[in-house]
Amino acid sequence: MSSETQKILTTDGIPLEESLKKAERKNKIKAFLLVSPLLLYLLITYIFPIGDMFLRSIDDKMVTKMLPKTFIAMEKWDGNELPEEEVFEAFYLDYKILVKEKTFGKLATQLNYEKNGFKSILKKLARKQKKFTEGNYKEQIMKVHKRWANVDYWRAIKRRAPNYTYSKYLKGVDMYEDENGKIVQVEESRRVHKKLWMRTLEIAFFVTVFCFLMAYPIAHLLATLPMKYSNLLMICVLLPFWTSLLVRTASWMILLQQQGIVNDFFVWIGLVADENRPEMMYNKTGTYVAMTQILLPFMVLPLYSVMKTISPSLMRAGKSLGGTPFVAFWKIYFPLTIPGIGAGCLLVFILAIGYYITPALVGGASGTLISNQIAYHMKSTLDWSFASAMGLMLLLGVLAIYWVYNKLVGIDNIKLG
Amino acid sequence: MRKLSKLLLTLTFALSITSSAFAVTVASWGGAYTESQKLGYGDPTAKALGIEINWVDYSGGLSEIKAQQEAGAVNWDIMDVFAMDTITGCDEGIFVEFDFDKDFPPAPDGTPASEDFFTSMPSKCAVGNILYSWNYAYNSENLANSPKTIKDFFNTKRFPGKRAIYKSALTNLEIALAADGVKMGKGGDFLYKKLEADGGVDRAIAKIKKLCTDPNGGCVFWSAGAQPPELLMSGEVVMATGWNGRFFNATIGEGAPIVQVWDGQGLDYEYFALVKGGPDEANAKKALAMMTNTEMLAGSAKYIAYAPWRKSSIAVMEAGEPWYKDGKTNMVPHMPTAPANLKKYFLVNADFWADNSAEIGEKWEAMKAGL
Repeated sequence: MSSETQKILTTDGIPLEESLKKAERKNKIKAFLLVSPLLLYLLITYIFPIGDMFLRSIDDKMVTKMLPKTFIAMEKWDGNELPEEEVFEAFYLDYKILVKEKTFGKLATQLNYEKNGFKSILKKLARKQKKFTEGNYKEQIMKVHKRWANVDYWRAIKRRAPNYTYSKYLKGVDMYEDENGKIVQVEESRRVHKKLWMRTLEIAFFVTVFCFLMAYPIAHLLATLPMKYSNLLMICVLLPFWTSLLVRTASWMILLQQQGIVNDFFVWIGLVADENRPEMMYNKTGTYVAMTQILLPFMVLPLYSVMKTISPSLMRAGKSLGGTPFVAFWKIYFPLTIPGIGAGCLLVFILAIGYYITPALVGGASGTLISNQIAYHMKSTLDWSFASAMGLMLLLGVLAIYWVYNKLVGIDNIKLG
Repeated sequence: MRKLSKLLLTLTFALSITSSAFAVTVASWGGAYTESQKLGYGDPTAKALGIEINWVDYSGGLSEIKAQQEAGAVNWDIMDVFAMDTITGCDEGIFVEFDFDKDFPPAPDGTPASEDFFTSMPSKCAVGNILYSWNYAYNSENLANSPKTIKDFFNTKRFPGKRAIYKSALTNLEIALAADGVKMGKGGDFLYKKLEADGGVDRAIAKIKKLCTDPNGGCVFWSAGAQPPELLMSGEVVMATGWNGRFFNATIGEGAPIVQVWDGQGLDYEYFALVKGGPDEANAKKALAMMTNTEMLAGSAKYIAYAPWRKSSIAVMEAGEPWYKDGKTNMVPHMPTAPANLKKYFLVNADFWADNSAEIGEKWEAMKAGL
């Protein structure tokens, strides 16, 4: 607005612009207040826990705080040969306090993640150190257990010196940082995570494809059949959706196991020999079948809601303009369903990638996923920082997929109903 | 940020606590086992002391109690745990340390508690509850020959068919080495020496892998104690490792054609631990002392074939045979500690597993992922 134009005033003499802004501001505050419960909810249930997980995955202050003198003494040590007496002495002094406070178990657990066998030698040291005489701690500690004379154990302690570490993330892809600071793969017999990441992606991908192939015709039928049939069909789709996940998984186990109903039927009709029953449970096949069935409604419903809005006259118009049914379908109907396909596929894929209980029950050894490994570290090894790191990696994976999808298809194209 | 999530956790736990205030809560493994505990000593103790004892199920490990403590709102008083967990829990200050002979009553003849129990405790925070066995069993209707030894479990030529084994490496490595021809030694000492030596673990894992990839063999991994008898009954596997009490319940309790093989059994212990800062620590301590006295421990063996820890309890059972709840089955021969069952066995070495489970776990998971 140029300065020469006279400012428009409202009746009470305030410039219109300001008055409008004021009203706007009020509306903005109102709108914000309206969404604030949701924001608060998101903050409490998503942002904080994820932030907490992130901190947990990189935080290594605990060990640093437990062995302050040791790490100062270790600064000068190059890590090639056994450290000098002063490191041993500092370690003894630090450890004495931990034993007194009864927190040395926490140190043992942490160090045991780094190198096997720490638990028992730290415990032995906790017992023996009470009788230590002053001076020459190196010899006295080394006498407690021969592992204390092994430089690897001292290197492992040194690795835990920094306050923050990304080593858990490296471990998540079967790598570690060696003594020279180079990032290398772990030995062959301990590589497990990369394999599981790939398997998780593979299974999630194929489950999505199977779901799509099965859901598309169902959704089409639902959208086009007369009301009384489509209602019945809808119930058939929704009924399993309302049934407990565990019940459905367990039913698949009964159906598909080697002595199960499906196999019995195959033998009865002579499709397979009795000794040669195919294995359909406790492996990948079981995981595919059960997961596809469980996730199917998540594909059917978005597809259906999109198809419902497509007018049947469009197909008729296509055909009357000379297209074969296939051409009419491919050129007109299919492109119109893409928002539904996008929503369904994204939904199923993201649910599948973090699936936990079904693979744990029906997957056996070859059908378990990365989420099962996360649960293993949560529950068995109690390495929660590693579990957090892997959880975040999974989250990043999902975000990456979302980003790629947005680039390829556009997120505005999604339609859930 | 951490403070806020702590606060939230506290709130949720506080909510769940208020519903169970002023009662002692015991976390145990569920199923037939918790049933035997509840009927055997839980209810009688609650009645005698006039307090309420609640039993909740959990699936082992220290993850849940650690979460409760981190949130500053503990709602379990007593936990039923593996030896390894009492060691870790004691070292990390999760459990209360006992003054054993002061805290636990002596046997009826006056023998102090520490001498009445079969062996010493793995940590100061543990009091023995039962001895049980990791043995294996087969369905006699599905096998023409009957397997007799631990080697037979791995013999896929004579006994073709799939096996069910425990989902983690615990006790699997021991039986693999034993079947591979390694002498057990007294209580399995020699087995653990071999496992601790270079290449021992790899050798055992290779043996399991061979069994699982054998076209005549194959593995199903079980995680809950109820699974092995089920898998045997459905014919899904021909042999399964498992906990002897569960096999016993299937055979004697339900009349299933399941036969146990005791050769190469792994004797393991189950313990109670008292949680530090539980909701009702004082009552919990009283209840624990009573539940682990001679009469009470013998009581649980009325319902399941796990051996009570006290020698004096076994004497009570022997005097009271037939001890099983049906009133006609003698219980002592079904105990893992019966002399006929103890010809070749190993004691599960908690220290070995506490020390090495991290690395072995990685190798084991890698082996499983490669199947």
